[in-house]
Amino acid sequence: MVRRYLRLLTVQLKASGLQALQYRADFFTDGFTSLCWVFTALAPLFVVYGRQPEVEGWSFGEALLVVGWFTLLQGILEGAINPSLTGVVEHIRKGTLDFVLLKPADAQFLVSTQRFLPWRAFNVLTGLGLFIYAFMLLGRGPSPLGLLTSLLLLGTSTVLLYSLWILTVSAAFFVVRVDNLTYLFTSIFDFARWPSSVFKGVAKGALTLVFTYVIPLALMTTFPAEAMLGRLPVASLVGAVVGSAVFAWVARRVWIRSIGHYTSASS
Amino acid sequence: MISVHGLRKHYKVHKRPPGLKAALRSLFHRTYTSVKAVDGISFDIRPGERVGFLGPNGAGKTTTLKVLSGLLHPSEGEVRVDGHVPRLREEAFLKKIMLVMGQKQQLLWDLPPAETFELNRAIYDVPTLQYKQTLDELVGLLEIGDLIGKPTRQLSLGERMKCELAAALIHRPRVLFLDEPTIGLDVSMQATMRTFIKDYNEKYGATLILTSHYMDDVAALCPRVIVIDKGLLSYDGSLEALVQRVRPEKRVVLRLSEVVDASRLESLGKLVTHEAGTAVLQVKQDAVNATISRALSGLPVTDLTVENAPLEEVMSELFAENKARRLQTAESVPA
Repeated sequence: MVRRYLRLLTVQLKASGLQALQYRADFFTDGFTSLCWVFTALAPLFVVYGRQPEVEGWSFGEALLVVGWFTLLQGILEGAINPSLTGVVEHIRKGTLDFVLLKPADAQFLVSTQRFLPWRAFNVLTGLGLFIYAFMLLGRGPSPLGLLTSLLLLGTSTVLLYSLWILTVSAAFFVVRVDNLTYLFTSIFDFARWPSSVFKGVAKGALTLVFTYVIPLALMTTFPAEAMLGRLPVASLVGAVVGSAVFAWVARRVWIRSIGHYTSASS
Repeated sequence: MISVHGLRKHYKVHKRPPGLKAALRSLFHRTYTSVKAVDGISFDIRPGERVGFLGPNGAGKTTTLKVLSGLLHPSEGEVRVDGHVPRLREEAFLKKIMLVMGQKQQLLWDLPPAETFELNRAIYDVPTLQYKQTLDELVGLLEIGDLIGKPTRQLSLGERMKCELAAALIHRPRVLFLDEPTIGLDVSMQATMRTFIKDYNEKYGATLILTSHYMDDVAALCPRVIVIDKGLLSYDGSLEALVQRVRPEKRVVLRLSEVVDASRLESLGKLVTHEAGTAVLQVKQDAVNATISRALSGLPVTDLTVENAPLEEVMSELFAENKARRLQTAESVPA
């Protein structure tokens, strides 16, 4: 079973790679866009830290770690999650989801692995580069335990991002056009470039609560950065693991229910 | 192989009158009506049969095919395909069937069809040797050897459809649902597809249900037809018997060496067409022999054939009959 799905993943990855290579111009513009994204992620940080050395207990170097995680996750989102799942919306609109549902394999797996943008790996590499630069500024390295914890959190963050996207595209089974929802999601994800405590002063801390429990952006970028710095409380780590498991479970249930609602476009 | 009993598929559809006021009102208060796409049909299909599904647009043909392939859940009734309940979408079931839709495509648009074949091989878990054999055979029969390496977007509609068919058959399905597989194709390509589909059915004993607006497809492929109209089954039997029932008259086609006055032709039977040295007469079956001898003795005939009425005409007459019957029933029921 696992071997079969691994083989399927390999074939899907190969097809995506070939698709990316099919258009030479796209291949290079994608690379260039990735580069621009990284600079847009860094720009606000330079603006803010140009005026003050510390924001809500986060120094420039520490905040850079959060941006590193943001850039890395953005690479995963734009490269591995977003292209496949926005394809679902198109499938539903055109009725070609029929072909996915006719296949003897898990439909969620098939749609989630149908398209990858290999160039977005550039963001992942830049994220890693930002970690190195941040620790150079801080004048120390991460502890082995901190590194291990942050790796675990990379897994939970990816699961969280993926689950949030599944929930967003599941709406397409009911309302067909979810472009606005996906734009909203991307805009909200942008907040994840800041340490979650900077929102403490906004609306009596309500925003921090929202970004921790409702749209858990804090779990995705602030927690792994804190883990690297060796100051993440164990309770937060447990919360991240349990939280991502709960989100994944909910997303799976919602997906299965949504498929039942699929009416297929007429021929 | 396929059994359908009392199948109903009703949709709840939101309905509102035109206009801004109605649109605003519908934001808060929606009215729904029930559309009966399929309204209680039953039939059985034996293994290896080729059955044509006929009916006007919106008759419920595609809905039935989608219920049979597990894409749509029936509102009522029992459906089984080779012992499986389609809506459960068991892997064993999905490996046995395939739905080919002339208006939708599964081929990866930017990649050559060979990549889709490879993907389907992995999804259907086709053993390497069987995959190679099947692919060689499909490539040979459909003559797509030089196409499967070109990006799909560069192929013509006909070429793409041939590759679609190949992609659908990589796992050698035992039940094949074909929904308008020849739509938009030119006459010779339609003929190629028909021959191929028939060969596949004969070679692998696959059961086949076909819907098509091209009656030539149905006449060439389906000894049995099921006619659905407004979600109801209006005929199930041989194509020959259907033609006999709806249009028992025969067509006598005369090729004439010189111009003949229409009145002389009309004395032989009902004149259907008369142009450029060809006349088509419609005569009752028991009068065919007499008409032929009268035509041969009295007219400058160079060639003569006896045919059934075109299937298109038979079908439109059947649909008109059904419509008239529905209207009559509606009038006899007091409101």
